[in-house]
Amino acid sequence: MTIHTLSDVSFGEQLPTFTPDTGLLNVKKFAVAAGWDAPRFTDHAAARDQGLPGAVIPGIMSQGFLSAMIHHWAPTADVKKVDTVFRAPCIVDEIYNVEGVVTDIDEETGEIEIDLTITNQAGETRVFGTAKVLLSQ
Amino acid sequence: MILDLHAHSVKSDDGRAKVQNYCQWIKARNIGIDGFVLTEHRQFDDQSNYDDLAEKHGLTILKGSEVETEYGHVLIFGVTPALQQAFDFTNIHLPLAEVISACEQHGAVAVPCHPGRKRVGMAAHLETFGVPEGVEIVEVFNGGSRGDEDKIAQQLAEDQQYMGIGGSDAHIVSHIGRCATEFPVDIFSQQDLVCALKTKKFKAIKLAVEA
Repeated sequence: MTIHTLSDVSFGEQLPTFTPDTGLLNVKKFAVAAGWDAPRFTDHAAARDQGLPGAVIPGIMSQGFLSAMIHHWAPTADVKKVDTVFRAPCIVDEIYNVEGVVTDIDEETGEIEIDLTITNQAGETRVFGTAKVLLSQ
Repeated sequence: MILDLHAHSVKSDDGRAKVQNYCQWIKARNIGIDGFVLTEHRQFDDQSNYDDLAEKHGLTILKGSEVETEYGHVLIFGVTPALQQAFDFTNIHLPLAEVISACEQHGAVAVPCHPGRKRVGMAAHLETFGVPEGVEIVEVFNGGSRGDEDKIAQQLAEDQQYMGIGGSDAHIVSHIGRCATEFPVDIFSQQDLVCALKTKKFKAIKLAVEA
C-alpha cells in the first residue's frame, strides 16, 4: 500500500523491506558520484589491507538506502531527518535487508517517527536509527 | 515476571527511543515482557519519573546505569544517591574493582554486559587483566550481539560459574524485549530487583519477536 496522508499510517506499521543493490559496480558508481571514490569503498583487497573485512558501503549510501525505502512506501513524504548509528560495517557484495517500522505518530504536527535498521543475512543489526517524516494530513 | 534488564532511551547519546513509545510498542506488539530497566550510558537519570507511564501501561519501568571500566561495559542495578557519590559515572576508565566494591557497599549489583563483545566486553580483557574478583552475574543474552558474542558470554559464565541475565540493549523502540530475564517473583522497584538478583533465582531468555 502506498502512503499519502497521515490517516493511511498506523502505529507499528512495517514498511516494505528493501534489499538494495550492494554490488561493487553500484557502490563504485555511488562513490564516484559522491566524490568518495576511495579504495576502501571500491576494492575488497585494498580495504582488507586497511584492516577492514572487505570494501565497505559508504555510510551516506546506507542512509540513501534508508531514505529510498521511505520514499518507496510514501512517495510524497517529506523526510525531515535520517538519524543513524553505525554499529558495524556493511560490506560490499553482501546482502542486507533495509527495514522500517512506524513507532510514533504525532497527529497534531503530522510527523511520524520510523525505526530504521539494516541487517545482514545472519539477522545482525549493522545500522540502526530513526527517521522523522512529515505527511500531509 | 519477565524484565528486559538492558535498554536505552533518548537520554543516552546513542539512544533514539522515547520511553512512552517503548510502552506503546510492548502493548501493541504483545511483547512478552512485564517491564524494562533503563540503563543509560555513563549516567543515572535522576530527572525522569516514569511512574505514570508504568501505571498507565501496567509495566514495571526501572532505572539503572551502564558504566565503562577497563573490563568493558557494566550494568548497575540499585543506583542510590550515595552510590552516585562513590565514583564518577561519566568516567570511561573506571576500575571494575572500584565499581564492584562501591556497589557492594551501597546495596547495588554490578553486571558486566555483552561480555563477548570485542573491546567493550569483559572476555576480551581477561588475558590482559586476569579474571576479576567479585563478579557473580554477567549478561549472557544481549539483543545487539553479533557473530558468536553470546556464545562467548555463555562460555565465560560456564567457566567462571557466573549467573546469566538477558537484556535487549535496545536503542530504538522496535528492539525492546528481544532478550530478557525471567524471575520467579514480582519486581516493582529497584530494591525488589536488587533482592531478586542477589537471590540468584532467575534465568536469561531470548524472546521471539514478530516482524
